Amino acid sequence: MFDNILSGFSAILAVGPILGIIVGVVIGITFGAIPGISCIMAIAIMLPMTFYVDPIIGITMLLAVYKAGIYGGSISAILINTPGAAASFLTAQDGHALTKAGKAGKALDMSLFASVSGEMLATLVLILVAAPISAISLQAGPIEKVFLLLFAFTVIGSMAGESIPRGLLSCCLGMLFAMVGMDSITGSSRFTFGIDELIGGFTFTPMLIGILVMPEVINVIRRRKVPHHELAITQSPNPADNHISFKEFRGVFRTILKSSGIGTFIGALPGLGSSTAAFIAYGEGKRTSKNPEQYGKGSVEGIAAAESANNAVCGSSMIPMLTLSIPGDDVAALLMGAFLIHGLTPGPMIFFEHTETIYAIFAGFLITDLFLLGIARSGFKFFVKMASLKRYFIFPCVTVFAFTGAFTAGQNMDDILVLIAFTVLGYGMRLVGLNPAVFIIGFILTPFLEQNLDQAFAIVGDDYAKFFASPFSWVFIALSVFFVYSSMRAKRKASKIPAPAAEEKPA
Amino acid sequence: MDRRKIDVVLSTFLIIASVIILTNDNLAEGGADSEMGILFLPRVVASFIIIFAATIAIQSFMKLSKGAAMEGQEVITTDGFSGIFIYVGIFVAYWLAVPHFGFMVTTPFVMLGVAYLLGGRNWLPIILMSGITPVLIYYGSREYLRVYLPIWTL
Repeated sequence: MFDNILSGFSAILAVGPILGIIVGVVIGITFGAIPGISCIMAIAIMLPMTFYVDPIIGITMLLAVYKAGIYGGSISAILINTPGAAASFLTAQDGHALTKAGKAGKALDMSLFASVSGEMLATLVLILVAAPISAISLQAGPIEKVFLLLFAFTVIGSMAGESIPRGLLSCCLGMLFAMVGMDSITGSSRFTFGIDELIGGFTFTPMLIGILVMPEVINVIRRRKVPHHELAITQSPNPADNHISFKEFRGVFRTILKSSGIGTFIGALPGLGSSTAAFIAYGEGKRTSKNPEQYGKGSVEGIAAAESANNAVCGSSMIPMLTLSIPGDDVAALLMGAFLIHGLTPGPMIFFEHTETIYAIFAGFLITDLFLLGIARSGFKFFVKMASLKRYFIFPCVTVFAFTGAFTAGQNMDDILVLIAFTVLGYGMRLVGLNPAVFIIGFILTPFLEQNLDQAFAIVGDDYAKFFASPFSWVFIALSVFFVYSSMRAKRKASKIPAPAAEEKPA
Repeated sequence: MDRRKIDVVLSTFLIIASVIILTNDNLAEGGADSEMGILFLPRVVASFIIIFAATIAIQSFMKLSKGAAMEGQEVITTDGFSGIFIYVGIFVAYWLAVPHFGFMVTTPFVMLGVAYLLGGRNWLPIILMSGITPVLIYYGSREYLRVYLPIWTL
């Protein structure tokens, strides 16, 4: 493994990948910092631009956008109390309180250091854990893989949706859309209704941009009359308030380590995501803090807890995707699509078939953290300026990039129609409480399920009891039942807690 | 808008579509035989759709019939919906116009339209942006990505 890591570093330390990382970090922070744009939008828009470069450059750039975008979200959360994602909600609470007290620099510094620390720890865990897990998962045959995928569908559907039936329905709809077109096993065409353009199925990139990106644009269009908030860093006359001292960082280091551990663990479980990690780490940080009363009122430790956990999810969410082909959340699903487009099929075999590429990507992950630290630290003012651009400059460009990105996939105007149709579908799904991210995960995983299911049927023949002969099958069935049960309990508990005062959340 | 009514209508539609998948053999054509059958998985999924859609519909219907007050996410506020229709309209017009007028001619108008929709009245920078961005994208795609965006065909 050590040799592989070294060869990964030698592959990534070249002009192309380093430029890709720098571009990715700058775009990620800028997009993340703009209120109304999430890092998923930045990744989806950048995705078509990576089609024609080497996978090491393309994937590393996308991962840099992801990491930097998650951090960038904390800038708008801290400066104007507008969390780009639910995971930054807690950062906004403490960070904005510090901004109001003239200590924006301190909050931004803490957020950056905690983000980078959390990401680095999670990346190290990813590097150390992914290959051994993939070696174990190689033992799984088609029957075990079928149960593993069913487990993934159940967990993601039940944990990620607004309610369990809505989450699972979103997943089923994604599965159904994945079955449109020619079947790769038998060559027969399904649900094409005589339309030749449907034989190839729905093109992934326009569908992805339509389902995940364009509804965010529509959301901004819908709220176009809400006044524009300009981002500005408040400066305190006391220089100590404008940055984090080493002593302060050392004081919260235990919290960062613990929260990063929580984020890493939660990120590795499919379906939970960064918000859960941030909330659990924040709660744990508050419980063990010497000053719990400061949490929510401008606590540097609170920012450290939420941000390190939130960012640790970035690295560890790659673990199930790379080892078991299960994307744990929407960004992982998008990145899985990027891997597939670049000819890298996530799963245990990736460590044997593309060893150099995968370790180069891991090395890129670590190097991205260093660039993120350097670029963000030196360019706070630039990113704040960029993120303050009026939305009538940003969203016309996003619209054109979405159009170009959708066209780039197949150089075909039909893909634009797919983009428009899925934009409407994606926004409609959000309105009725269905989860577009779960839809995408269902869409991506269904071909794997169908392939393994076909092989499993060939193995068992008429003896269906063989499906349940392996202990893995029972383990995954038990885990599925457990996750559905615990999700039901958690949702019932949550419904008993009175809702907080009206707070506008992105649809 | 009451989301519970939409739930009932949407679930009914999904259940009908799923029943068609379960009962119609003409939804797949051609191809070789496989161990599990070409419509096996779609039918399993359709069965689950019926279960989940029915669950949602029944829950919403019960609340409607009891006259229960709408809670949090059950209320769909329709403020700003006109902007959505205009935006989708602009996008459809863009899709229809690009094959005839080309990317470079159509895009500035679309960018101006979206900027205007978002309240942009700062015309000089908006016009500059709408003029420069399509040129950069067009030549960038052609030179670096080998993607040839549509050109004027009238």
